[in-house]
Amino acid sequence: MVFNSLHFVAFFFVVYGVYRLLPHKGQNWLLLVGSYYFYASWDWRFLGLLVASTIVDYSSGRLLNRFNDHRRRTLVLIASLTFNLAMLGFFKYFNFFADNLQVVLAVIGWRPDMFTLKVLLPIGISFYTFITMSYVIDVYRRQIDPTRSLLDFAVFVAYFPHLVAGPILRASVLLPQIASPRSASAAQVAEGLWLILWGYFKKMFVADNLAQVVNQVFASGGLPSGLAIVLGTVAFAFQIYGDFSGYTDIARGTSKLLGIELNVNFRFPYFVRTPQEFWAHWHISLSDWLRDYLFLPISYALSRRLDGVRWLGQGDEFWIYSGATIITMLLGGLWHGAAWTFVLWGAYQGLLLVIFRYAAGDRRKRRRRGSLTQWTFQWKDLPAVLLMFSLTCYGWLIFRAESWSQIVLLTGRLFTSFSPSWEVLANVGLPLLVYAGPLLVIHVAEARRGDLNAVPAWPRLARYAVYGAIVYAIVLFGDFEGSEFIYFQF
Amino acid sequence: MGIRTVVQSKAALLCAVMVIQFGLFETGLRLKGGTEAAPEFQRLFTPDSTLGYRLKAGASARLKTADFDTRITINAAGVRDREVGPKAPGERRIVVLGDSLVMAVQVPVEETFTARLERLLNGSARPPSTYRVINAGVQGYGPVEEYLFHRDVTSALRPDIVILGLYAGNDAVEAANAGFRLRGGENRGEPDRPGALDRFTQWRRRMIRRSLVLQVARLRITTLFDRFGWRPEIDPPLRTYLHDAPPGIDTGLAVTRDVVSRLAALTSSQDARLVLLLLPARFQVDDEDYARLKAIVARSGQTLERDRATERFKAALAGLDVPVLDALPPLREASRQSRVFMESTAHFTPYGHEVMARIVAGFLLDSGMTGGQDR
Repeated sequence: MVFNSLHFVAFFFVVYGVYRLLPHKGQNWLLLVGSYYFYASWDWRFLGLLVASTIVDYSSGRLLNRFNDHRRRTLVLIASLTFNLAMLGFFKYFNFFADNLQVVLAVIGWRPDMFTLKVLLPIGISFYTFITMSYVIDVYRRQIDPTRSLLDFAVFVAYFPHLVAGPILRASVLLPQIASPRSASAAQVAEGLWLILWGYFKKMFVADNLAQVVNQVFASGGLPSGLAIVLGTVAFAFQIYGDFSGYTDIARGTSKLLGIELNVNFRFPYFVRTPQEFWAHWHISLSDWLRDYLFLPISYALSRRLDGVRWLGQGDEFWIYSGATIITMLLGGLWHGAAWTFVLWGAYQGLLLVIFRYAAGDRRKRRRRGSLTQWTFQWKDLPAVLLMFSLTCYGWLIFRAESWSQIVLLTGRLFTSFSPSWEVLANVGLPLLVYAGPLLVIHVAEARRGDLNAVPAWPRLARYAVYGAIVYAIVLFGDFEGSEFIYFQF
Repeated sequence: MGIRTVVQSKAALLCAVMVIQFGLFETGLRLKGGTEAAPEFQRLFTPDSTLGYRLKAGASARLKTADFDTRITINAAGVRDREVGPKAPGERRIVVLGDSLVMAVQVPVEETFTARLERLLNGSARPPSTYRVINAGVQGYGPVEEYLFHRDVTSALRPDIVILGLYAGNDAVEAANAGFRLRGGENRGEPDRPGALDRFTQWRRRMIRRSLVLQVARLRITTLFDRFGWRPEIDPPLRTYLHDAPPGIDTGLAVTRDVVSRLAALTSSQDARLVLLLLPARFQVDDEDYARLKAIVARSGQTLERDRATERFKAALAGLDVPVLDALPPLREASRQSRVFMESTAHFTPYGHEVMARIVAGFLLDSGMTGGQDR
């Protein structure tokens, strides 16, 4: 049941209608049943995994609360993490590792009769395992108290707006909202409706239409010109942004109607100047998760081993940051999918982060502008923004390519067969302009004010003109075939 | 200002904005062209008090889509064909009546099956005999309009043979809807006042036909409902194929029989012969299309029977002493080699036209209707 289906619309109308009539506990039961139905509509067999994950991590939280000695608490944490990682590893990475092990063994001349399993990837498993792991780790670190209510915890894990593609919410954000009586205010409803409309626009008008252009350029076996690769990659940048941020907007919008606030997950990620800013604006909940549960622990571990070292003229801070960043981004790349192209993409992102941190030096620190919520786009930053966007786009080329050989082929053709032509401009450039242009215009206006919800605050006539144009754009040019969201596969 | 007034003024402003935007999108889509609702294409037609509309003599338009790019020119006689001069000695004329499948705006006029038929017949004609095949197909016509069009327009061309192309897909539905035109023209004693709901439906359909925005919106809604497995009503072109066809289908078949009787009488009075050409729908030939539509119809709890419409037409037209050529079997056979129908529209491909021309030529020559003037 994807968000862009009539099935979901009907489902949400029923849930919302009944939700408004129920008391707090009834609302939570409804959210749980509705969320399980939502998840089971893909494949009911995987509902067991979701329930198992819920029970194991709820119990882990309770045990961590009961035990005081460090050893027993650590054992509980390890047991919980092992369960979650084993589940994720088996369903997502079993065949990947089995295939690669076979290749490695073949190199040394051993050809064992390995096997691969027809393992189906349970939808959303990467998201809900991260959610439950963060809960157990936070309880272990005593950053939050474990919930006593299994119902509340089950709703926290399965809550349908964020279940299959995030945002990856922390228990500290969502559990208190689930545990408290709630009702949506008029402002929440208005904002929620706008987010839903905007999300559908991003998905059905921008992403799904650009997908057709991108698929042509990245078709395996094709030999696109350099210009087609550039435009196709830019189109993919807007496709994946429209797809994923559109999903998040619909998730946040529906959740607002239910009176529950979800975190902002994207904040104008293509208007940033550095990779550091990019990861603070792109898939923010994943970036935060990677920072708190991978980067920082790895940094601490490395700092204990590398304290005081000086290699190649660089001090320990450089090696600690670089090591932790590269490892984190490699794992972040692998999180996106069991393929070496994603690992390479992670490595590329890690290198960019390291290079920019040390190349920019003090200049970067001087230009830092306050917190994320105070951030605004300024025209004087345009050259830096365009440079960063170009680097981001090359990352998307790696991400979108179907194999390493395609990355090499496309990269080579960028420099050897640029071959500009009107045909490419008409077939790739024009659709890019038509489908990404309106999104860009609105985003520039919003980013100038640093306000993700600038449109609802515009003068009434301008606001209504945008609402109307979005409705017409979706109805007349949107994709109604119900194509899935890209991040569902992750 | 009260809350109600505020809400009303906001709603009014939103409506006004959306109406203006409707106009802008409508204009933009029309200027973009590429559809039959584009102004350039619509200029091919002119209102007609008897037929509703007809082709405008001397009009010309270009129809360009992703799949084809054709120039359509209407001759002085009001059909999509080259000019028809006075009938020469030894010339035998064949008028082919029909709808969009015959008019065939998707291919150049020289590639239509009527033009190919003419070349095939002339290739086998014994000099000084010649054949002139006139494409009298008109987009959107049903059997009633086709008969009236021949009565008022093409009968003046003095054909020796009239071929009435009946499209099994939607001709029964269209005949049922247009039956009143027969009474309006020849039977004025019977009043024809559709009910309020019918009038609304007709108005709604007229509006949708005229507006590109509404056409696209209808398509989107249908797609959405299709995917949800909910279809409020079966599309008209499929109704004649249903196991339990709605009552309107029997009415349409009866009207078609009436039309054929009238046309047979008219052609006979002009010493011409009438042939009925049964044209199948695409899914009758294309297995993939059939599977798709069958599934859609099944979701509505009904059963799509692949050849039922053809059988219904044959049964309805039995006993009229008019030869019937069923193009389904040879088209089905030919489709094993290549596509006879286009993918984007349910009209013939150039290969489909070639096959159709061979089918009709073979029938005319084998049946001796050409008058033994052939080699």
